[in-house]
Amino acid sequence: MSAQAPVAVASSLETVELTKSFGGVTAVDHASVRFVDGKVNGLIGPNGSGKTTFFNCVTGMIKPDAGSVAYRGNDITRHASDRVARAGIGRSFQLCRVFPRMTVMENLLVAVRHPSLRTLLRSADDEHERERARHWLRRVGIDHLEQAEARNLSYGQQKLLELAGVLMGDPDTIMLDEPAGGVNPALIGRIATLVRELNDEGKTFIIVEHNMEMVMSLCDHVVVFDRGRPIAEGAPSDIQKDPRVLEAYLGV
Amino acid sequence: MRNVSERTASAALGPAVTETVVVVPDTPRRSRWPRLVSLALVVIGAALVLSFPFVAPNPYILSAGVVILNYAVLSTGWNFMGGFTGYISLGHAAYFGLGAYGTGLIVKYLQLPGFVAWVLAALLVVAVSIPVGIAALRVRGASFVIVSIAFVLILLLVFQSWREFTGGSEGLIVPRPFPDLMRPEHHRVFFYLFAALLAAALVAWWIIDRSKFGTALKSIREDEDKARSLGVPTTRFKLIAYVLSALVTALGGGLYALWFGDLDPIFQFSILVGSYMVLMALLGGVRHLFGPLLGALVVGIALEYFKLEFGDTQFHLVAAGLLLGVVVLFMPDGVIPAVRALIDRFRPQQTSIRDVTAAELLEQNRAAATSEPRAGASSDHRAGAAPDPHADADNREVVR
Repeated sequence: MSAQAPVAVASSLETVELTKSFGGVTAVDHASVRFVDGKVNGLIGPNGSGKTTFFNCVTGMIKPDAGSVAYRGNDITRHASDRVARAGIGRSFQLCRVFPRMTVMENLLVAVRHPSLRTLLRSADDEHERERARHWLRRVGIDHLEQAEARNLSYGQQKLLELAGVLMGDPDTIMLDEPAGGVNPALIGRIATLVRELNDEGKTFIIVEHNMEMVMSLCDHVVVFDRGRPIAEGAPSDIQKDPRVLEAYLGV
Repeated sequence: MRNVSERTASAALGPAVTETVVVVPDTPRRSRWPRLVSLALVVIGAALVLSFPFVAPNPYILSAGVVILNYAVLSTGWNFMGGFTGYISLGHAAYFGLGAYGTGLIVKYLQLPGFVAWVLAALLVVAVSIPVGIAALRVRGASFVIVSIAFVLILLLVFQSWREFTGGSEGLIVPRPFPDLMRPEHHRVFFYLFAALLAAALVAWWIIDRSKFGTALKSIREDEDKARSLGVPTTRFKLIAYVLSALVTALGGGLYALWFGDLDPIFQFSILVGSYMVLMALLGGVRHLFGPLLGALVVGIALEYFKLEFGDTQFHLVAAGLLLGVVVLFMPDGVIPAVRALIDRFRPQQTSIRDVTAAELLEQNRAAATSEPRAGASSDHRAGAAPDPHADADNREVVR
């Protein structure tokens, strides 16, 4: 036992026996997962394996039936999603969500980090916040659209806007639900580059993705879901060879 | 406007140029309506309102002015909730009635001066609106509308049935705060009181509109779950907006009680009054500071006119219903945005490409293409987006 002491991985986000059922369907089934702090974590699995439900349980969008979620040692089980966000976990949505009738700039000014009376009554035009917003718009490459209404952006631009909006909340951990879904290859490359850069700057990522090429090239650590629970985890190269993973994907 | 021009562009030129065209709208939205013009309009509007009691030909017209200002207060109060968060309350007359009856009952039973009762009643309404808000705001959309209607109907029954306390359907007489004033003078004083209350409500709305808090409320209107995922404490913020909304509406109701002096549950807790608030706000434009005020002017005058012309019939209700239909169908954002769009059509169009010839456009595109590499990181995305099947989505409204 002591000879093979488990490698001490700093856990950023950890779930224990997390369970969520919808009627008779158990979408997440006693899932115990640890994500590695400071790394790009991938979460993959066949369609309907419970990845998005797992995401939603962790971020407080839906309440799990049982089990617990801890973030950096603090229990965040059943915390409302705004508390989870302010604890430092930002997230994107599978079908990207922006505020359609607000400008790109206004979209970025939504994120609330410290809801105190003083910050709330401050003008939304606060130059410091605007400068931060411009910084993130430049980083994702849509700073030229600052005054456009979000609904007039292309889907790809909206994805970038959503990411910039999440970054405005200054999260330590960013959960992306299918960042490559519905965008063209050039943009996928751009998003992957961004993730890598942000990871170098210290952001932890947890990414649900179907694009295997992206997962394998981008992630340091991959967790494979099947039928609502993890069936394998490890480095991308190991995962690809794992017979259980092949079985889950190919249904052998 | 902007959309139309973009759409035209892509239809004519195909997706390849779309990106370049879409880049154009970089003039800040607000500057399209110069601040000076807005300020001038506000000053003129205020002057018109303040001079009204002197130009009103008779006390009846003056009292109609008071009614319209009262509606403007109520509708602006409603807009703290409905406009910012998109939670449509059809039962906001509940707070109008509670403010009015609260004031009247305090005067009657505690023998306090009218305006002290007014403030006390408003505070009581705040205390009531907190638990009601917590309960009602657990649901969204149509369910919230139903809850709001249920609330006002419950109050109507209570105030009608609790005869010993409220006077029931016989009504409640509220002593006048200025017993020495003649009727026209009384109207005039209350006209200015309502104007002051309206001004205070507008200033409060304006401050919120510009604040971080206001941005958060508007994000709830757009997509509540998304707002929440960005750290907006939606439950708390909605409740604050709801309580503020109830407070302003109750102040309007209390002032009405002191002015009119006779309360009847059927009018104070009427779904109709609540619907008027919504109609007025929608008509003027819920996203605009003066939307509810403008709506109150139009609807208020129309209602008075129809009541005068067609007296006993219910024709004014038909007219109000028709008006609501017209607004929802043709001006879903209200009159103010519609008028602004109309005015903008007669101005030089900074963001339009329609007055650019094909040759000029070609030249612009060439210039953009050569400057592209210098843009560095952002250019590969823009260049890459062109062959994308989603590229022409720039011209589609991506409706959620």
